[in-house]
Amino acid sequence: MSDPTNDATEPADALVQPASPVLRDLLSRFAGRVLAVSEHRGDATAIVDRAALLEVGRHLRDDAACAFDMLLDVTAVDYLGRRPRFEVVYHLLSIDRNDRVRIKVPLEEEDLVIPSVVPIWAGADWLERETFDLYGVRFDGHPNLKRIYLYEEFEGHPLRKDYPKEKRQPLIGPGAVRRDPMNDDLTR
Amino acid sequence: MSDTHGHGHHVEEEEKPVAKARPIEPTEDSLDLPFEPMELKMGPSHPATHGTVRILLKLDGERIVHSEVEVGYLHRGFEKECESGLWYQAFPYTDRLNYVSPIINNVGYALACEKLFGIEAPERAQWLRVIASEVSRMSDHYTCLGACSLELGAFTAFLYAVEAREQLWDLHDALCGARVTTNYVRIGGLSMDVGRDFRELAKERLAAAGKLQQDLEDLLLSNPIFLDRMEGTGVLPKEKLIELGVTGPVLRAAGVPYDVRRAQPYLVYDRIDYDVPIGEAGDNLDRFLVRIEELKQSRRMIEQCVERMPEGPVDVDDPHVRLAGKGRVFERMEELIAQFKIVTEGPKPPVGEVYQAVEGGNGELGFYLVSDGTGRPVKCRPRSPSFSNTQALSPMIDGAMLADVIPTFDMINMIGGECDR
Amino acid sequence: MAARVVTVDRRSLRAKGGAFGARAFAKGLSVTWRHFSRNLMGWVRGTPTVATVMFPEEDVVKPAAFRGMPVLVQMDDGKERCVACGLCEWACPVDCISIDPAETPDPIERHPLRFDIDMGRCMYCGLCEEACPEEAIVMSDRVEISAFSRGGIVWNKEDLLVPQDQLARRLDWIRRSYDR
Ligand code: SF4
Ligand code: SF4
Repeated sequence: MSDPTNDATEPADALVQPASPVLRDLLSRFAGRVLAVSEHRGDATAIVDRAALLEVGRHLRDDAACAFDMLLDVTAVDYLGRRPRFEVVYHLLSIDRNDRVRIKVPLEEEDLVIPSVVPIWAGADWLERETFDLYGVRFDGHPNLKRIYLYEEFEGHPLRKDYPKEKRQPLIGPGAVRRDPMNDDLTR
Repeated sequence: MSDTHGHGHHVEEEEKPVAKARPIEPTEDSLDLPFEPMELKMGPSHPATHGTVRILLKLDGERIVHSEVEVGYLHRGFEKECESGLWYQAFPYTDRLNYVSPIINNVGYALACEKLFGIEAPERAQWLRVIASEVSRMSDHYTCLGACSLELGAFTAFLYAVEAREQLWDLHDALCGARVTTNYVRIGGLSMDVGRDFRELAKERLAAAGKLQQDLEDLLLSNPIFLDRMEGTGVLPKEKLIELGVTGPVLRAAGVPYDVRRAQPYLVYDRIDYDVPIGEAGDNLDRFLVRIEELKQSRRMIEQCVERMPEGPVDVDDPHVRLAGKGRVFERMEELIAQFKIVTEGPKPPVGEVYQAVEGGNGELGFYLVSDGTGRPVKCRPRSPSFSNTQALSPMIDGAMLADVIPTFDMINMIGGECDR
Repeated sequence: MAARVVTVDRRSLRAKGGAFGARAFAKGLSVTWRHFSRNLMGWVRGTPTVATVMFPEEDVVKPAAFRGMPVLVQMDDGKERCVACGLCEWACPVDCISIDPAETPDPIERHPLRFDIDMGRCMYCGLCEEACPEEAIVMSDRVEISAFSRGGIVWNKEDLLVPQDQLARRLDWIRRSYDR
């Protein structure tokens, strides 16, 4: 597979016809808005323009030939040093049809906003909060967009590639004194 | 058992065969009282929740009018750690996702990596992985059932379940030398083969666990107090569960036979015989019974596997992926060089991304991996069943009685390490 | 070979408990009584049947595969087998090994001048053992790491060296299990 997001600007019909009927359907129905499709290692993947996300999502859930009734996962990937830098990734499952599809939406760093899919799959609630927490992607229309794992005072978004692993956060709360862990005699 | 009130709860659907809805009607007196909901904060460390989670409850008497679940107390940055290490260095971290069924996480991650690399583990490794996964699943279910009975006041049942779990952890021990932090599976194989005595050991331990499970069932399943607290509590219609992304025994208890092992068979699951149990009412009792039945099925699967497992290598013969044996490294230069390359640079997958799901103890456990062709992952994301399942806790307990929080939370079986990653 | 879908039986449970749960009550008592009397007899006869042991007076039998703390193999001449190649340092996911290599009088050998393992961070994963080309670092059956300060949990070379005859079982196991 060539790098998926590098193809993001190419028209979708430049690609060969995918084997997955869902991808073929998406390509014909949302021509120009489904930016690319791929089937690397058998995983059906569609790169979708942000403006079409909700429409594509509704179609995938409601159309009987798609019936993707479960949203398994929402996450983001940070390709630091590439444009667009971020990608929000959705994994969908159709229980009745026993099929999976992955939807990816490329996002620029300066404009890290994407419509929330909570109205389509209620289960996106916590998953989107997590992505917001760890990557700083804002989900437009989310009912309760706040940090889920980290505390409100946390600065930055730790899963971004430019967030150093060793970075220390200021301590909060009463008695916020940092002690030297190696020379801290526990008997005292 | 404590004297708690398990009766009286709103159940949306009246046509359910067994779940009985016995709503408490407000009386004249109760309407006169000034109404101000009481706030109750359960957790983060609460004796009746086996997981670090905080549940904020708004109560009207004993009825929950609003609930909110806060997770994240066990967030350790799994993804960040994995991204900063080599592909093979993530295995010990995957143990710590769902730490009561660690080998399933190992297997899930290894399968995802193998899909990414485009390789397949040898036959014997696949059978061993099925054995190891089912042993792990059993230990997960025993923990869940035991903790549930403990938190409902049945301490003895908890002891039997934990003793049964010990039997299974002896099998972990024989497989990989650790009971909990297993680090057993590797990309393209297993860290080590099992000894010849494993078959006898497995049969003996499974029989011992089976006896203890029978005792557990005898203690609980016909006990009216237990039934009162489990029956009809924590019900959500299956459409709602699917919408919320709930998988595993909770979804199966609601009558949806979705099991990754059956729907998209991996390893050798399509070559062994087993049943997928489902429930009919989708309440906590069904979730309990589904787990009890799954334990029996797992036992059946392991018994088949130890009999039918073929001899052979447990590692792919690929010097770019797996280390050579110690004896060969000692004696030959090529193997020594390969050893240095694999340890320092790590095996390098081709560019690409994959998602691979396995059936974890609590539902679909998936790994989404992105590779840029180097020895370090760009993204290593577990799709953890506990996270999505815990999300469904709030809708399940809203409108129910305070005492129903405990069995519902127990049957969701939120595992902090997996939920908070 | 296939997976069948079966529905669990929940309807008969109440009836099995008998009127007012009397039968369930009797059954529960018989189960606990059976366990109690078996354990009591085991205690009287001196063949315990309980699952727990009285640690530290009693110790459990650890299997050959057991992974305790990593230790360094000391050869019969008192020197370490390690040649300070640094592979274990690379392989360790939590970076808890730190080695200062040095030359030895023997021109073709090196050895670690300093070899520290921060046991507070070590997670007994065994990747160092797997990476070591010399069988010089192995997982022992030691598990006790308590110390009075966090600095005290950092073990240096002298703490880590264990004579190789004490590790014979494990060395044998490594050869067998890692050989493919
Ligand atoms: S056992 Fe694991 S964590 Fe401990 S020193 Fe070895 S590689 Fe590091
Ligand atoms: S890998 Fe073995 S030989 Fe190399 S430094 Fe570590 S212990 Fe010494």
